[in-house]
Amino acid sequence: MLFSKRISKRMFPKFLVALLVLGLLVAGCGTAANDTSKPSAAGPVTVTFWHSMGGQPAKTLTAMVEKFNGSHSDIQIKLVYQGSYDDAFNKLKASPDQGPDLFQVYDIGTRYMIDAGLAAPMQDFIDRDKFDMSPIEPHVINYYKVGDKLYSMPFNSSMPVLYYNKDLFKAAGLDPAKAPSTFAEVEADAKALTKKVGDKTVYGFSQAIYGWFFEQYMARDGALYANNGNGRDAAATEALVNSPAGVEILTWWKKLIDEGYATNLGRKTADTQNAFGAQQIAMTIDSSGILPNLTTAAAGKFEIGIAPLPRGNNEVNSGPIIGGGSLWILKNKPKAQQEAAWKVVKWFLEPAQVATWTVGTGYLPINKAAVDQEAYKDFIKKYPSYQAAIDQLHNTPENRITQGARIGVFTQARATIENAIEQVVLNKATAKAALDDAAKKITDSIKEYNQTMGVK
Amino acid sequence: MKTGLMKKRFTRFVQYLLLTIGALGVVFPILYAIGLSLMSAGEASSYPPHMIPHHLKFTAFPAAMETAPLGRFMLNSFVVSLIVTVAQLITASLAAYAFAFLEFPLKKILFLLFLSTMMIPGESTIIPNYLTMRSLGWIDTFRGLTVPFMATAFGTFLLRQYFLTLPKELFDAARIDGCGRFRFLWSIVLPMARPALGTLGVYAFITTWNQYLWPLLMTNSTSMRTVQIGIGMLQFQDATTWNVVMAGVVIILLPSLLTIVLGQKQLVKGLTTGAVKG
Repeated sequence: MLFSKRISKRMFPKFLVALLVLGLLVAGCGTAANDTSKPSAAGPVTVTFWHSMGGQPAKTLTAMVEKFNGSHSDIQIKLVYQGSYDDAFNKLKASPDQGPDLFQVYDIGTRYMIDAGLAAPMQDFIDRDKFDMSPIEPHVINYYKVGDKLYSMPFNSSMPVLYYNKDLFKAAGLDPAKAPSTFAEVEADAKALTKKVGDKTVYGFSQAIYGWFFEQYMARDGALYANNGNGRDAAATEALVNSPAGVEILTWWKKLIDEGYATNLGRKTADTQNAFGAQQIAMTIDSSGILPNLTTAAAGKFEIGIAPLPRGNNEVNSGPIIGGGSLWILKNKPKAQQEAAWKVVKWFLEPAQVATWTVGTGYLPINKAAVDQEAYKDFIKKYPSYQAAIDQLHNTPENRITQGARIGVFTQARATIENAIEQVVLNKATAKAALDDAAKKITDSIKEYNQTMGVK
Repeated sequence: MKTGLMKKRFTRFVQYLLLTIGALGVVFPILYAIGLSLMSAGEASSYPPHMIPHHLKFTAFPAAMETAPLGRFMLNSFVVSLIVTVAQLITASLAAYAFAFLEFPLKKILFLLFLSTMMIPGESTIIPNYLTMRSLGWIDTFRGLTVPFMATAFGTFLLRQYFLTLPKELFDAARIDGCGRFRFLWSIVLPMARPALGTLGVYAFITTWNQYLWPLLMTNSTSMRTVQIGIGMLQFQDATTWNVVMAGVVIILLPSLLTIVLGQKQLVKGLTTGAVKG
């Protein structure tokens, strides 16, 4: 009766054994897969390359790596996506000995990579091979230099630019060939561009609450972010974000919103991009790298203009800082891996590869010779306004300010600044008070970092 | 009589109306995701946002598949989720059986100890677990992805509580008939606990399917990666094309939906069978 159906008493142990076998089989498969991934002594050297590129840039990178692997019999790149820059960075911090041979790190991870002693400096390979660095854009290299030593090779590089909707400019009676270049001009143009259509408003301007933009405005206004030459003459000990330039930036930011010429769309740049694509805002600030995306969104609707990052009201010859990521060769890897990784880095620097990368992603061409490549010529024909980003790169003078700050706690600093901007925009603090508070917080974390990492 | 019927109908109408509104609220994100996945990039970013695509475009699906090897990721996620689910059902039912039917010293304290592990946030155990897996050499293997999740305090608790609701008479009757412990568990308890097993199974499967940080830490090769990392690959911090991301989400949603549909059938079946009858 009760026990007659289903699996009998005798079958039950067999069932357990079957499950166990299944488990072992799965485990066995795992081992096999693991073993094949390790390079054999005789075969090609495998360079494990961790990256944080998603979407379109990931597609371009994968295609480039396939091209490399197809044309090199001695080296094979194993490309591994490791989540966002932060995810990848934290994974390496958790266990450096399990790290890759080649690692893409975001701009602001530079200081930590050096202080943690994880890097095999690029300069050592360059000097040994007498590798010619002259075709590489100096402004891009300077960001990743410490003293005269280049630690990592720039890879995906971008700068902030002003994007504007040329059609809305025409409709508002503004000259679509003349973009605003100062805070005051942005304000005036934004006023002319702001229109109420029915019950919805098209705003003249909006920028995401993104700490990177604040850093860029500071540099454009010729102000240091941290002391000791932005932490480049000696380790920084103090944040200078509450300087007059910083206060001017936030005062202007808030004024635009208070006057109703700009709208606050929060922290995500994706949201301002969507609003720009949907013609809800006429001007925005964003990375030069997103032009292809914006163009897709604008296709058939309006024409996009690009202009250099606007400056504050006092005239100063300066410019924005390089952002993005660079490639690091890790120190704790065998010599053969490092050499192979260096060859991969050199390959990515070739004009043909740089052109493919720019065309596929919108990142700046870091090799000057890339502009002579057919692929790049077609690209600039398709997006003539991209030239403004290149011009900005070339017009930026080289100094401590435009080289960008080098502090070990940049991730926290950025979050602190974003909080400060939010407080000001939401009327919870004045620009000066919010920035004084932020400067104090950042200074404290810099001090703590210097202490724990033994930085003098 | 008639007014009574009217009143009843009206109450029912209100009930259905509220339920429909609630259901729409719950299902809205999925419908919106499907809608976005069928738009072009331009339409996906239009304002006011379109709920339903004005022009059907299927380009986002091949684009998502091209950016991330979602097929392989789904297979991996499926294998991992299935192993974890089966293992949790086995370990949890065995442990719950002990806590529900057996008498042994320190039973209560052991059970409390068991429960207290539920209070430890998963994030705080990630790094120690990772170091253990590394020293075992289980990085980048299915073992590393599954073994740490094979035992579950929550599942044990859930099944124990359910087992306690089963009449004690069953146990006594079975013992008198000469039924062993394993057989009692297998032939009587488990069939009657189907609703609880179904719930635990669905829960275990979906939790494992949705894991992001652990698989990201544990795996180093694309061939071992799971679906949530695939969704990460579709996004990019500088610019996100939502129609492609949503296409990826819709693709990986299908197995979870299937699990719920199949699990629900089990749930209903379990509810209608079994009782104290000879």
